[in-house]
Parts: sequence; C-alpha cells; structure tokens
Amino acid sequence: MTIRTGRLTRTLAAVAAIGLCSAAAEARDIVWARYGDIDTLDPHKATSTLSLQTWSLIFDTLLATDKDGNPVPNMAESWTVNDAGTEYTFKLHDGITCHDGSPLDATDVKYTVDRAFDDADPSVTKASWGPITSAEVVDPLTVKLTLETPFVALVPFLADSFSSILCDSNEGAEGFGTTTAIGSGPWKLVSWTKGDKITLARNDDYTNFGKLAENKGAPYMDGLVITVVPEPQTRLAALKTGEVDIAEPPFDDVAMLKDSGELDIVVAENTGQNVFWEFAVHRPPFNDKRARQAVGHATDAAAAINLIYGDLSLPEACPVSRGVFGNDQDVCLEYRTNYDPEKARALLAELGYGPDKPLETAMLVWTGGNRQKLAEVFQAQLAEVGIKADIEMMDIGTMNARVRQENETAEGKGSMDMMTWSWYDPDILYALWHSPGAYRGYTTPELDAMLEKTRVLTDPDERKAAVQAVFKVLLEDGIHIPLYTPGWEWVFAVRPEVEGFHVAPFVYPVFNDVKIAED
Amino acid sequence: MWRFLGGRIAMGALTIFVTTIAVTLLIHLVPGDPVQIMYAQSQGTTPEQLEEIRHNLGLDQPIYIQYVRFVGRLFQGDLGYTIRGHQPVLDVILQRLPNTIALAVAAMAVAILIGLPIGFFAAYKRGTMVDTGLMVVAIAGVSVPHFWLGLVLLLFFAVELGWLPVSGTGPLNLVLPAVTLGLSNAAIVARMTRSSMMDIMRQDFVRTAEAKGLPKSVILSRHVLRAGLIPVITMMGLQFAFMMGGAIVVENIFAWNGVGRMAVEAIFQRDYPVIQGFILTFAVVVVFVSILLDGVYALVDPRIRRS
Amino acid sequence: MAELSGAVPDYDHEIVPPGRRAHFWRRVAFTPNGAFGLAVVIVLIASAGLADLITPYSPIKMGVGPRFLPPNGAYLLGTDEFGRDLFTRIVYGSRLTLMIGAIAVGISLTVGILVGLIAAYRGGWTETILMRGTDVLFSFTETLIALACVAVLGPSLKNAMIAVGIAGIPFYARTCYSAALVERSKPYFEATIAAGAGPLRLLFLHLLPNVLPTMIVVATLGLSAAILAAAGLSFLGLGAQPPDPEWGAMLSGARDYFNRAPYLMVIPGLAIAVTVLGFNLLGDAIRTALDPREGSE
Repeated sequence: MTIRTGRLTRTLAAVAAIGLCSAAAEARDIVWARYGDIDTLDPHKATSTLSLQTWSLIFDTLLATDKDGNPVPNMAESWTVNDAGTEYTFKLHDGITCHDGSPLDATDVKYTVDRAFDDADPSVTKASWGPITSAEVVDPLTVKLTLETPFVALVPFLADSFSSILCDSNEGAEGFGTTTAIGSGPWKLVSWTKGDKITLARNDDYTNFGKLAENKGAPYMDGLVITVVPEPQTRLAALKTGEVDIAEPPFDDVAMLKDSGELDIVVAENTGQNVFWEFAVHRPPFNDKRARQAVGHATDAAAAINLIYGDLSLPEACPVSRGVFGNDQDVCLEYRTNYDPEKARALLAELGYGPDKPLETAMLVWTGGNRQKLAEVFQAQLAEVGIKADIEMMDIGTMNARVRQENETAEGKGSMDMMTWSWYDPDILYALWHSPGAYRGYTTPELDAMLEKTRVLTDPDERKAAVQAVFKVLLEDGIHIPLYTPGWEWVFAVRPEVEGFHVAPFVYPVFNDVKIAED
Repeated sequence: MWRFLGGRIAMGALTIFVTTIAVTLLIHLVPGDPVQIMYAQSQGTTPEQLEEIRHNLGLDQPIYIQYVRFVGRLFQGDLGYTIRGHQPVLDVILQRLPNTIALAVAAMAVAILIGLPIGFFAAYKRGTMVDTGLMVVAIAGVSVPHFWLGLVLLLFFAVELGWLPVSGTGPLNLVLPAVTLGLSNAAIVARMTRSSMMDIMRQDFVRTAEAKGLPKSVILSRHVLRAGLIPVITMMGLQFAFMMGGAIVVENIFAWNGVGRMAVEAIFQRDYPVIQGFILTFAVVVVFVSILLDGVYALVDPRIRRS
Repeated sequence: MAELSGAVPDYDHEIVPPGRRAHFWRRVAFTPNGAFGLAVVIVLIASAGLADLITPYSPIKMGVGPRFLPPNGAYLLGTDEFGRDLFTRIVYGSRLTLMIGAIAVGISLTVGILVGLIAAYRGGWTETILMRGTDVLFSFTETLIALACVAVLGPSLKNAMIAVGIAGIPFYARTCYSAALVERSKPYFEATIAAGAGPLRLLFLHLLPNVLPTMIVVATLGLSAAILAAAGLSFLGLGAQPPDPEWGAMLSGARDYFNRAPYLMVIPGLAIAVTVLGFNLLGDAIRTALDPREGSE
C-alpha cells in the first residue's frame, strides 16, 4: 500500500513538473555522448565495447562483479557446483520482471543459453560460454547448466554482459536487436536511431541485487540518451554548452579541465583491458623470437603513454591486466622484454639487420582513442633501433581478421599488431594462445598443456602458479608483449551538476545513482 | 520531348545496370577472403562453418549465378545484412538517406542563392574589374578545401560563439554543413552562370535587341537570363551528384548522420554489404534526380518541348 | 575530383591547343592570375626539390623541439604534438603533394587518352561502349569512384593516388574523345587512311600528337582537383598514413589539439588552399590565353 502511494505521489509530482515547466522535465534525461554507435542490441551478435556497455543497461546478468572485479550474486541469489565441476545450479531471486511485464525466471535463462548455442545461428561469443551441453529448468527459480568438462571461467563470464539474460518474450520477435530488446535491466529501450542515438527510459520495476550501485531500486533519472559524437573536440564543446552531460574528452585537454574544475574527470579502474604487441609468427622475420624480443626491447611504453595519455593510463607488464586473476607486476617485469634499445640493436644485428638494412614490418593498429598518435610514437621508437614499421589503421573487427590472415600467409613483409583484449579472467589466454589460437598464431603442445591446466585447477594458489607459468612463456619468447592498461573508452568528463556517476570494473558505466542538480 | 526523356531514362537504367555489376564484382576484387574478413569477429568459427557461410552467401557459385541471385534479391528489396551487427542493409541505409538528401538539397540551395546572382552580375559587368574580382573570388572559393572550411566554421560558429549546436542531426544542425558544402559549390555555379550568360550575350537575338536600342538591363532580364538559365539547369544534375559526393566528407566533419558517414565507417570496418548498398543507393538517387532535372529542362527549353 | 574538393575544371570552355603560338607563356605570366599561379607553382617545386637544404630538421623525427610550441624564431611555424618542426613538415609535404598530383593525373591522363583515342578512331560499337561507359562513370562523380577504389584496395597513400587517378579517367576520356573527333574529321586524316597507314600508326603518330597539347592543358587544370581530392582522402584517414607529412593528414591529426594549438590546423589548411589556388589561377590564365572568345570583348 505504501509503495503504491509513493508511486502515485511520484507520478503526480512528475505530471505537475511537466505541467509547470516542460524544459525542466526534459532536462531530466542524462545525455551520454560516445564516439561511435553500437552494432546491435542483440548480445549474441557483436563484441564491441560500445555494444556491451549498452547491453549492460538494458539487460541484467545472473552474476555481477564487485569493485575489485570478483563475481558476486546478482539475479542469481546463490549458486552451487558439483565436485566434478561440471554442473552449475543457479537459484534466482523471486519477483524479477522483464520490461514487458512477464516474470524473469529459469525459462528465460534456458532460452538465453539455448539461443547462444543455436546450431544454425550461434552467439559470436559461443566459445566463451564454455563447453555447456545443456541448460535445464529444475523449477521456475532454479536452473542447471551442465558442462562437458570443468570450466572455471564460466562464473566470471556470467557476470559479464556477454551473458546478458534475454527474456523469452523476445523469441521470434521481429526486429529483436534493432527495434526491440526486452531485458530486465535498469533501463528500457525506447528507440535506436542508427548512427545517431539510443533513447532509454527508466525501468520502474528494477531491483538492484548485486550491481555496483548504492541505489537498490530504479534509477533516479527518467531517461538516458546515448548519442554518437565522433570528434573529441566536438564532444568537449557539447559538454561545455550543456548539450551533453557525460562524454570522453580529448586527452590533451584533460589536465586543463581538471585544473579549471570546469568538468569532473572520472577514470575507470579495473578495466581488464590489455594492449599488447603480437606478431605473425609463421614467417620471417617474426618466426624468430629474437626479432620479437627486439621489438619488445625497442618499445618504451611508459614514455609513449605518458606523452599521449599523461597519467590516464599505466604501463602494464602482464599479459592480463591489473584487477584480473594472476596479475603481478613484479613477477611479469622479471620475464618481460623491457625497454633496452642497445639490446634491441644487438638482437637485430645478430639477425643480419643493420642501419642499411632495416627490419621492415607492417604495424596494425585499431582506430580511435588517440591510438594513431600512440602508434606514431612507437613507430618512431622502433625507427631508432632500425625497425621500419608502416602503420595501418583499421577498425578492430577488421584487425581481428587481418591478424588471422597474416598468420595464415606464408610469405611477405613482416607483420605486427597492437592487439587488445579486455577480459575478466586469465582464461582469455586460452582463447588466444591454445591451439589453434584465436588468430592461428603461436601455439605449441607444451603451452597447450599449460593452458589446459589453468582451466581446471580449482585451488586459487595452484591456479595462480599455473597462470604465471603461462605468463613466463608468453613474455620471455616475445609472443604477447604487454604495453599498457587501460586502453579505450575509459576516461569520462562529467558536467559538475551530475552526481553519482561511476564506472564499474571492465568499463561498465553505471547510471543508477545519477542525479542531476536543477539549475 | 518524350524521345529525349526516353533516352535519358534508358541511360539511367544503363547506369544502374552497370552499378549492379560493379558492386557484385567489388567483393571479388578485395584482397583476401571476404568471408573470413566478415566473420573474423565470431569466436571459434571452424573452416567448415566458413564453407557453409560461403555457400549460404552463394560465394561458391560461378560469378554470373551470383549476379543473377544478387539482382533477384535486389528486386525484393533485399540488400543483405551488415557484418557488424547483422542488420538488414536496406534499413540501415534508408534510416540515413533522408539526412543526406536534406543536406545535398540545402547545400544546393545555398550554392544557387549565392552563385547565381554573382555569376549573373559578373556577366553583366563583363570585362570590368568587378568581373575579374568576382571570378578570382570564385577561384579562391573552389580552392579552399571544404574539410578545412567546415572545421573552421564549426569551431567559430558552434564552439566559440555557441550560436549553433555542435553535434547531432536536426534542423539547426543542418546550417553549418549546408553552408560548408554550398559555399565551395557556389563558386562553380557562379562560373557556370557567367559563362552561360556570356554565350547567350554573343548570340544574334541579343545583338539584335541591342541594335534596337533596348536598355541593357531589359535585355538581360528579359532575354539573356531566361535563355542563359537553361544550360545552368542541365548542369544542376551533375551538381547534385557533386553535392552527394561532397556530403561524404562534410558529414564526417559535422557528425551528420547520413549515408556518407556510414560509408566511411563501413570502409574502416570492411563491411562490404554496406559499401555495396551505399554505391547502389548513390547511383539510384543520382540517376533519379538527373532524370527529374532533365524533365524540367525539357519543359523549359522550347526546342526540346516542341520536338 | 570535384566533389571532394569543390574544384571542377571547366568543361564549358573551348580549348585551343597552344601549338607553336609565340609568346604564349609570356601572355600567361603577364596576367596577375597567371603570375600568382606561376609563383606558387615555382615556390612549390623549389621547396619540393630543395627541402633538404631549406630546413635543417627531419620531417619525421620526434622531439627535435618541445611540443606545441607556437610559431617563433627557431621554429618558424611552431612545433606539433610530437615536437616536430611544422615548417619542415610543410616543406617536405610539398614533395608529396606534387607527387600525388603528378601520379594521379598521370594515371587519369594515360588511360583517358587511350580510351578517348580508341573510341574516336574505331567508332561503331567500341565507341558506343567506351563512351557510354565513360558517361556512366562520370555520373557517379569522382568522389564515389575514389571511395569505392579505396574500399577495395585499402587505405594507403599509394592506393589513394591510384583511386584519384582512376576517378579522373572519365573526364580525361571525354575531353580526349572530343578533341580526337575533331582531328578525325579533318581531311588529312582521310588522306592518311587512304595511303594505307595501319591503326597503330594512325593512333599514335597522327591522332595522339594532335590531341596531346590540348590534353596537357587540361591536365594542368586537373592537377589542382587531384591534389584536393587526395588531401580529402587523407583527411578521412583513407590516404597517407603516418609519419608521412601529407597536408590533409596533418590537418586531420591536428583536430584533436584545436584548443591547445590552433595553428596546427590552420597552417596545413592554408598550404593546401594556396597550392590549389595557385594551380587553379595558373590553369585559368592558360585557358584564358588560349580561349579565342576571351579578351576579344
């Protein structure tokens, strides 16, 4: 009864507010500008961060992450695993509803898992769900996932928006992913105009069980508009004029903005992002580990990052970044090919390269976030020791394809790339370096065995040792040379009247606590 | 007149026909395996699955079969699916096309409103310092890169003065891109108008009117302007195509949500179905507009109307 | 390349080849437009040729000076975000600009002349197919053709030059075709055929030398458009790649620093505008000197 009165009062207040001052009512939407658009609202059909961030607003997940990146209960209030590690049983909270009013229960979870494994049209991230063989509805609030083999990375995966739970009312809906997307997250989809903006409205029935927000109910603001503004300077101008409340600023203006206090700067932590060098290893020159090590020794990541990002990003020594299981800077720095141009020159000389015969390579870099500038600095650093790198800028999806293609090409100029992955668990190294390898790159039977071990060890200390053994191989042989973290879409400039905006681990912005002070 | 228009329509049909062949070939000219490029994002696609996709897309068929299938689907309004996000290409394009057309039309209006009077005035003052001065200005106008002009206008009017919104797609947002695109084309319109007017001025009927002692202003407004505008109209079709082309760059500066920005993004993403769809749409729009303008031309020009 | 650039060579002017007309260049150089154009082109060629002598710095080495230093005595046009000397980059950029213009126009011109000549000489179906094809391409506008080429070839400076070159073909083919038709209708041509000259001989020894002067004039006019178009592609990131000091790419890269260093954006833009203006004015002066209608009023 009290709840009802509350809602009625709120509604009346809202009506009155609209009646009195429509401009004020309009200003209640949060406007968040990003450099690009999402690919789709269907969580099984894309991998971009821009898409993921949006799914996390519309859909909810079984588990969530705490501020350190560890999985905690969310829609699932608890879960159990059998001793063999092959059966996971999740107990759902009662009373969760989808945006269309239908209850969210075990059948929706089963629908989502079955859809991800649909033979005709599987999820693009199917492999990350692990070796699931079936999803079974035990009772309306209990669901059991059965695996072929143990897979410890399943739990963190279910806290990530790749595993967004879709309501089964989406089944067969025309325009799912484009015009409709029914979830149980804090925001409901109103509309998506491709290339321009996504309009969301508050989900009044939302209850926050485990997400990182102080607010345990529905968001405070009425709506959230996510707009596309590609140019950093334009985003800054829009922030200043108040057209936009939250956006990524141009990096070079951050110091000035901080000093003037004109805008607040929020930097995401525990992003899990890892930016690293990797190479086409099946042909010269990078089939020889000395060539890869030379690149490692020629690269002064700390200086380059400082030049381009100031103190907004950090050099990273491990193949999985800070905040991810197994990361230890001291351990990794011992194995990593650190900056030492003399060593680089010596290695190149051993290989027969010299001032008159530079080592030539392509350097693939993905677009956005000032990475072109960063690549130019690396290019200049490599030139110092006699490596001539030609920068090629491309979209991340294209780069994934190119890297694989380069690994499958037996001849031609060398190829290296500034690759990146963001993951919540060292299991990403299995995806990257276990044969056949995500990009058909470096694999050996020994490394395969080591990686397999990291998947099944349930004792944290044992697993940590196994993970760090993998680091050693990757770092010493120059297979995966970590550069820095975080690396993309992690800096937010926020207008001063916006309160309560923060970013959860793995760069998920949270708007549940946001309040915008009236002028 | 119908024969004239019939010829134009046939030419337009030919253009679209050639375009369909070109876009079918496009995907085969790409270095590397298009299927692999398209599906690289998907985790764990096996070679067998890639073969399956290739088969579903018909890429394992001889090229003429592929072409026939492509055209067949085209007639059903099916341009395929985007690689990023698996959306129908036609939807993605149709959502943005009106914005590009609005920009092109607005820019054309700017170009004509500025270019036509200047060209006319220069022809009127032909051979004088005013004429020379105006034409130098026009040359300067075509020399300024519009990607630069656009940035300068954006920074000045939107960022510094705050008179216009800096981002987004709405009526007020149209002003700066339309002016940017229109200004550089105004110079071309001015030069075309001037030379067309001067051609007319040399013709016998104008000379006769001059000999009769009619005032220069009457001759210009009554005889020269009407006759001189006809060739200008014929050039408008090409101008419109230029505007559509120019929109590709200008949309990217102003984040105008049109097909040009979409196309550049698609190139970076190697989203070939989108690029194919864009080229086809571009051809269809340009052909349609030029036939429309040919119709206007046929109505205005008495020689064609009578034939 | 009109649309990327906004510049379009006039095709409504009748162009009479310079032939052996005396004092032609004097007539060009003594008009204000021609003089300015020539001056720009000479400065451009000099800076391209003598870049190593003009400036002591390297155009690509980072940290030759502090970052973001506004124009001053030591660094005439200031330094960029990597502490490179902007003046040096602009000077070396003129090399790229000239090379881009020459190669792109070279491609358009060569293929355009071949298509135009063959169409005019063979007549019949060949003519119909070639010239209708040219019309179709022409209606696409050069931006779209360039964009499609880059989409197929991938973004790089080399590919941008090829793309701009291909995009220009329809224009040159049309111009060459009209010029060749005029030649073909002249009596001497019939006589040569009657004398039993072979097709290759006819094409390359009789038609070509007669259309070449016209085409060279047209190419001068087309240079500015090609330069602008390539700069536009580089601006979009589809042309020159770092560390090449290409003006369009420099301008594009400077967008991020507008607040801090507006000169980084203004100067490369001016360099493009002045260069293109120079070529346009020169071309205009040449055409005026050749157009029988101009100056007779």
